Amino acid sequence: MLDPWFLWIESSAFSTWVTESPSLFAFPGILAAHTIGLGLLAGLNAALDLRLLGVARDIPTHAFTRFLPVMWLGLWVNVLSGIVLLLAYPTKALTNPVFYLKLALIAVALVILRSILRRTATPVPAPGVVKVLAVASLVSWVGAITAGRLLAYTCTRLTVDLAC
Amino acid sequence: MVQFQVWLEAALRSFRQVAALMGQEWSWPIAESVHFVGLTLLFGSIVAWDLRLLGVARQVPIAAFHRLVPFAVMGFAINAASGTFFLMTHPDQYVYNPAFHLKVLCLILAGANVVLFYLTLFRRVKRLGPGAQGPALARLSGAISLALWTIVIVAGRMITFYRPTVCRPGEALGFLASCIVR
Repeated sequence: MLDPWFLWIESSAFSTWVTESPSLFAFPGILAAHTIGLGLLAGLNAALDLRLLGVARDIPTHAFTRFLPVMWLGLWVNVLSGIVLLLAYPTKALTNPVFYLKLALIAVALVILRSILRRTATPVPAPGVVKVLAVASLVSWVGAITAGRLLAYTCTRLTVDLAC
Repeated sequence: MVQFQVWLEAALRSFRQVAALMGQEWSWPIAESVHFVGLTLLFGSIVAWDLRLLGVARQVPIAAFHRLVPFAVMGFAINAASGTFFLMTHPDQYVYNPAFHLKVLCLILAGANVVLFYLTLFRRVKRLGPGAQGPALARLSGAISLALWTIVIVAGRMITFYRPTVCRPGEALGFLASCIVR
């Protein structure tokens, strides 16, 4: 049903450049940027979660707000590189249920992050519920990363007329 | 160098049980996922530590941030183990791969940077209290670390685009491919 749309995107000049250009700044570079963004956002979020679980207690939780610009940088790099990867292979992603699972897990992780930030933004001790949120955050990031990695193995169609 | 590569490939190939395990249907994808989770743990803890060295969140004593370093070590251990499994399963895809060479070079340099830091700067740096800026060399060490680990990730991601093929006589080497001398 969506095949004409997928075909239209896949045959656009931009998608063709991303998938077929031998330049390292095309597909390989975008994939690398997506991995760096993942490391910055999920990595620093994991450090924050570990702190909330009792590691490195001497770091005041609100000190992590200093790293927020780096985490938002990671998020935006990945939103943009993710959109480019989606435009490059729309059929591959959008016909795979695991892709929607990945997006849902990222959404959950971001909502949890927002909730954690609201509860830890002030120097007062964070309530016990943040430990539950920290565990949920770690679980959703591990899930999102795993789902993302499995996209390469669970796709059924690479493009409109090619199987995975 | 080629002789060393041939020897290393054979040595890695001798771990047949690992290759058999990794050949099971979902082993490779699961090991890759583990490798990415390890990457996140390692990179996140290292970035937080390096940024503090560079002066971010400097109202926090640096010793407090040092408690994150064991998690970087844990992430590294996870990735050294899962990475070794990849190598033992398809050694030729790594041993002759220029992207993998760059990754290993940066890993060695990052390791040397860590050793030098602990031998020369750590004693002074760990006493830094709230608001204290580290010595210029400590900031340089942090910046080098950030750059090297970023290249490690990028080069690792490039491995699949530089997969070697077997050299055939007279074959022009492709832009992305190096080839294996037999």
